[in-house]
Amino acid sequence: MMLGYIVKKEFTLIFRDIHALLVLFVMPTLFILIMSLALHDSYSQKMEVKFQVALLENGEEQPLAYTMLMQKLRQSGTFHFQSVKSESSLKELLYQKGYDFAVAFPADFKQRLQNDRESFRARFFARSDVSPRQMALLKGLYSTNVSKVLLEQVLGSLGVSAAENDIGDRIESRYVYKQNDKGAKPTSVQQSVPAWLVFSMFFILIPISNTFINEKRLGTIERIRSIDVSLWPILFGKFLPYFVINQIQVVLMIAVGYFLVPLLGGDRLQIAGNPLHIALMAAAVSFASICFALLIANISKTTEEATSIGGVSNIILAALGGIMVPKFVMPEFMQEVTEYSPMAWALQGFLELFTRAGGLSDIAADAGKLLLFGIISLLLSFYILQKGSR
Amino acid sequence: MSITIHALSHSYGADTPVLQGIDLRIKKGSLFGLLGPNGAGKTTLVSILNTLVKKDSGRVEVCGYDLDSQVQKVKACSGYVPQGYAFYPQLNARENLEFFAALHGLQGARMRRRIEYAIEATALEQKALQRAYTYSGGLKRRLNIAIGLLNDPRVLYLDEPTVGIDPQSRHYILEVIKKINRRKQTTIVYTSHYMEEIEYLCDEVAILDGGKVLLQSSVSELTKAGRAATLTLSGQPAQACEGVRYEKRRAYVDLSRGYDTLRRFLNLLEKERIEVLDMQSGRGDLEQFFLQVTSERLRDG
Ligand SMILES: Nc1ncnc2c1ncn2[C@@H]1O[C@H](COP(=O)(O)OP(=O)(O)OP(=O)(O)O)[C@@H](O)[C@H]1O
Ligand SMILES: [Mg+2]
Repeated sequence: MMLGYIVKKEFTLIFRDIHALLVLFVMPTLFILIMSLALHDSYSQKMEVKFQVALLENGEEQPLAYTMLMQKLRQSGTFHFQSVKSESSLKELLYQKGYDFAVAFPADFKQRLQNDRESFRARFFARSDVSPRQMALLKGLYSTNVSKVLLEQVLGSLGVSAAENDIGDRIESRYVYKQNDKGAKPTSVQQSVPAWLVFSMFFILIPISNTFINEKRLGTIERIRSIDVSLWPILFGKFLPYFVINQIQVVLMIAVGYFLVPLLGGDRLQIAGNPLHIALMAAAVSFASICFALLIANISKTTEEATSIGGVSNIILAALGGIMVPKFVMPEFMQEVTEYSPMAWALQGFLELFTRAGGLSDIAADAGKLLLFGIISLLLSFYILQKGSR
Repeated sequence: MSITIHALSHSYGADTPVLQGIDLRIKKGSLFGLLGPNGAGKTTLVSILNTLVKKDSGRVEVCGYDLDSQVQKVKACSGYVPQGYAFYPQLNARENLEFFAALHGLQGARMRRRIEYAIEATALEQKALQRAYTYSGGLKRRLNIAIGLLNDPRVLYLDEPTVGIDPQSRHYILEVIKKINRRKQTTIVYTSHYMEEIEYLCDEVAILDGGKVLLQSSVSELTKAGRAATLTLSGQPAQACEGVRYEKRRAYVDLSRGYDTLRRFLNLLEKERIEVLDMQSGRGDLEQFFLQVTSERLRDG
């Protein structure tokens, strides 16, 4: 009965705190949508973003080998090749005409290709903001296709049909999962849902510190302490609502990934792991985030202070934790630093379940670290609270 | 007696004694004013009586219960209205009252009755369903008081309940407090900086400054004093003199029964070779008296 009123009060306060609602529910939804759609192509095989490549023409004639090479290059999903008469300067092409790359061949390129003589140099130019990775990709594409054309020329002259010799066609690729093979493909939404979910769960800090600091500042805590009421319903009444809010976030963000992202043209979130395990992991994350929030609320004097200390520390934890930049693209020493962010533990745990179809044993270590982190934060807050009220 | 305090001392840390040997007796059903400038120790004293702060030494009884050994009983008979707006601004009056009533372990019909009483006593009916942050200062003060009434306390502590509001609202709140005191014989302990409030509201007053009780007296006795003279002396007389009160190098001479007292006192000073450096006289109202007894040092605020 008493607990009911305590919980009701805390919920009412959260739902009347418009900033908290924005940060807890709207912010992660937007992040998931934006990041899932923005990173869509960097995960998917068929790229929709095309890089424009200008092939600087020399000579009108179109020998068979050259046409074959063009044909093969044009099959690539990533690059869009166009022959360009080299009247415009290189800079014009790259900075005004919208090309990302320009490729210049030597004067006798077409003949040499036709006569299967490999010894020619092509020069590749890229705009200065194009990533080296794309350049490497383009060079790889070019050289394999040139080799292919040359090989076909040789085989053709020996009377062998080369069509079935395409090695690429004979490669089979498949993702392997830890427990079941239900097959959640690694798409951008698989990364962004758990990442921004974890991020927003830690922002439970905003409503917690808002109510707690106001209670301290206004003397409401004193008033509560003057009443003959035991500590446990108060403590539990503080924990439970925020825990429930965190779980609502989990359900909601999964729903965003499952329903909303595909609706807007992204991939559908697929959940490979067991829902019960996800709930357990979510509980551990929630415990850690609530305890951390209590600690921040305890060391801050004003809500502004808590919002800035908490906000900044959350963003740092997120940057370190692989929320903003996936861990696998980080250099090695950064990946080691990641090991010290609770958000990284949370994310790793969720990723185990969401994409790798991991089981309990795979999340045990991360969940354990989160619980430990929560307990330490809680003990620290108690210590500070005791010292303060002496 | 509703509250008896004997030799109560408290300090925050070793070098900051806040209360030094407080002795007070507060009668059942009285309106007791605790007057003192900023930092006098009023809030500290009230916090100790409400078991929020642990005293260093001394003996305290509230409603006949010992503060050390019967904490729960003491809490049950006390209502505490803190100096700040100790409620949730985002909740309306009724929601606030429900929450605190629940903390008192109330439920059902009893909870409803107590809430109705608190709302009615503080005249909050009109705004009970409006969120508290929209309230005027006076209304916030009344809600603050209403919450203190929920456990039907025998002693109600009000820590500066009229700070920051206009004279009309202040007057209204004083009326509310009088009404609460009359209806259930609730003992009121009222702290304030303002003499005139206490003069208007209370029947008993203690002046607290620098952690000591400078004086405890009935308000009527103090105001009856009528005329009084204040003398600044070169030293403190060793001998007592009837009708004269000393406070360090200041003496307050009661002039209500003519100038005999003053004449006797001046003789005494002559004998003790103490000079009169300054002398002022006027209507001995409490405000002036308060300023006089506490003007030894400059205050923070
Ligand atoms: N928690 C605390 N820790 C240390 N010192 C304190 C604490 N609370 C109060 N004090 C000091 O104790 C003294 C008495 O403070 P207290 O709040 O009891 O005075 P007060 O009479 O209520 O003043 P005001 O009229 O400003 O409310 C002040 O000097 C204050 O600075
Ligand atoms: Mg005070």
